[in-house]
Amino acid sequence: MSTSQKAVRPLARCLRSLQSQRQSANNFRTLSSSARCNVEAVVDSTPEKPIFDPETVTSIKGEKALMKSGILPIGSRRRRAAIKSSDNIPFEQLPYLCFQEARKVLQEDREEKLKLIATERLRISNMLARDPSTFKGGVLEKETKLSSMRRYLEWLKIQADINDPLIKKRFEDGEGDMNKPIYRYLADRKWREYQRKIIVQRIEQFGIVPDFLPHFEPTAEVQLAFKNRNVQPGEYIDSRVSEVAPRLKVQVFNKGERLVTVVVIDGDVPDAEKDRFGTRSHFIATDIPLSPTDTSIPLSKVTKEQLVQPWLPPFAQKGSPYHRLAVFVLEQQPGQPKVEAEKWAERDNFFLKSFIGKTRMTPIGFNMFRATWDDGTAGVMERASIEGADIEFKRKKVVALKPKQKARGWEARHASDKYKSLRR
Amino acid sequence: MLLPRLQPPLRAALTSIARSAPSGSQTTCLNDAFAQLAIKSSRRMNGAGVTFVRHASHKAQGAVNKAKDGPGKRLGAKKSGEQYVIPGNIIFRQRGTHWFPGDNCAMGRDHTIYATESGYVKYYKDPEKNPKRQYIGVVFERDQVLPLPRNAMRRRKLNMVAQKREQPKVLVQTDLVMEGDASTGVVLKQKKNKERKGEEGRNLRLRPGYMYRESNWEIGRAAERAQVTVREFKPRDRWTAWRKATIRKAKNAEKRGLGRKIGSKK
Repeated sequence: MSTSQKAVRPLARCLRSLQSQRQSANNFRTLSSSARCNVEAVVDSTPEKPIFDPETVTSIKGEKALMKSGILPIGSRRRRAAIKSSDNIPFEQLPYLCFQEARKVLQEDREEKLKLIATERLRISNMLARDPSTFKGGVLEKETKLSSMRRYLEWLKIQADINDPLIKKRFEDGEGDMNKPIYRYLADRKWREYQRKIIVQRIEQFGIVPDFLPHFEPTAEVQLAFKNRNVQPGEYIDSRVSEVAPRLKVQVFNKGERLVTVVVIDGDVPDAEKDRFGTRSHFIATDIPLSPTDTSIPLSKVTKEQLVQPWLPPFAQKGSPYHRLAVFVLEQQPGQPKVEAEKWAERDNFFLKSFIGKTRMTPIGFNMFRATWDDGTAGVMERASIEGADIEFKRKKVVALKPKQKARGWEARHASDKYKSLRR
Repeated sequence: MLLPRLQPPLRAALTSIARSAPSGSQTTCLNDAFAQLAIKSSRRMNGAGVTFVRHASHKAQGAVNKAKDGPGKRLGAKKSGEQYVIPGNIIFRQRGTHWFPGDNCAMGRDHTIYATESGYVKYYKDPEKNPKRQYIGVVFERDQVLPLPRNAMRRRKLNMVAQKREQPKVLVQTDLVMEGDASTGVVLKQKKNKERKGEEGRNLRLRPGYMYRESNWEIGRAAERAQVTVREFKPRDRWTAWRKATIRKAKNAEKRGLGRKIGSKK
């Protein structure tokens, strides 16, 4: 949601409530026999489109209309229904004594933490000012001490806000500001609770770790969508759907801007000559800016400078086992030299391990989908001018180790063609 | 005074006891006799009391009465290390999991280890995977070693051949029949569709007994193919049963009436 919309939202809400009040006033029967003052005014008003409030919309129609205009309704539908029916008294004015006392305790704790943060900041600045030669271990000791102090400071920042009910509410409504450490911390925790577990399971189940990378710990959430088709990790995607490049939503949980590279690799390219599976890169784009607040990466809108290899629609020839299409988000080193497009123009036999080794990037996010032969594959291959749609893979016949046993008994006696009709 | 008067019933009681259980002497305690009398009434109510006696000759517990050594189950290794196998070959038969399936192997319903790829059998341990388990794997080349180094790429084989894709034939079915030739002139006629509903596209083959017919299972599916739907039978649905019965009776009555008419005319 844009900031202007955010800013306007309470105003619009206010106006709407005023309107409703006025309408209710109009409904009163006046005792005068003359027409009501606003009756004439009503004539020229056209039926206005209903305006939905992202805080109170509960109908599916309303939610869709809102999302079409680019505004996400807050929290859950249940939460919005609750907001609609409750008085929405702010926490400070809630008439519950125990709740208010508890808030006081939490506020005291927060004050304490803020003091600690201030002292820690002072200590860090003092440490920075100190000459490294005064330490026993020199520069290294200074750096380790500084890093541990910074870690402690980050922890304190989170601890100052973690018990705040207002922050919890804002996070659950999806209004958290990802520039603040507490919301990033909460988002990370939420991701690790379920979504990350699924991704880790896919990495294990589909052999992503030994096949694509020797080891990998995802630290960023990657969501994948083709137009309006959201992809669950590992799902089979119709070749007609995956003909256009997907849209990535990458949520990082550490602060700062960074540049990332997105790589899409097919890990199961059949190679009948060598009787093995090869790899093929379907998309490479580098220098894509990413931050905790700026999460969307539409791969179809990548600029020419960023593009190394344009999107090649995934395809699987008939009969070949399913193809794993792995989408990796790689974080680039700050001030890293640009990836040369000419050097990485070859699609076949693209090995992510060597790519990472040469460009010194670190994989942070992962998602995947699968492709098989379907009705649209031949058309997709034709449109992308890929050859090989007329090839079909069939299982090799396995030669038995033992010779077939000679027929004995009834079977031997009825072996001649005379009894052909009896055979199955 | 009292004693002689009591004597006759007592004696009767004693004799009855003596008849049921012959006691050793007449001089058994009178008290005993009374006690037995008292118990006897209650026992009659409960039925005869049964007492078991355990003799030392037969043991019921312990290792004595176990099943005898049955026939051998032919368990064990069916393929030795480095022996060539093809997919489906049984490598090891076992009760329980003495061995686990490693690379390119799988475990059957009865823990049998069998090969899923053709290659050479390797028996090995993989302490990184599990420190206690022992595995059976299959490698593609004889000199390859299992277990693979940690985080090394898996060895995989395609085991497939590339062929020209068979285009599915599009059969154009027409009901037009050409009759005659160039000399007489050609007449196009529409073939009469003889096939009954559900009998379209039957595959009639010569079957045992010199009959051109479908196989039995296909005949069994005929109603399904013709999309004949029968209302599901509901037990105790008296309303439907009554309605059907009345319809049937009416029909029968009508038939009977017709028959009589025909008969009377004759």
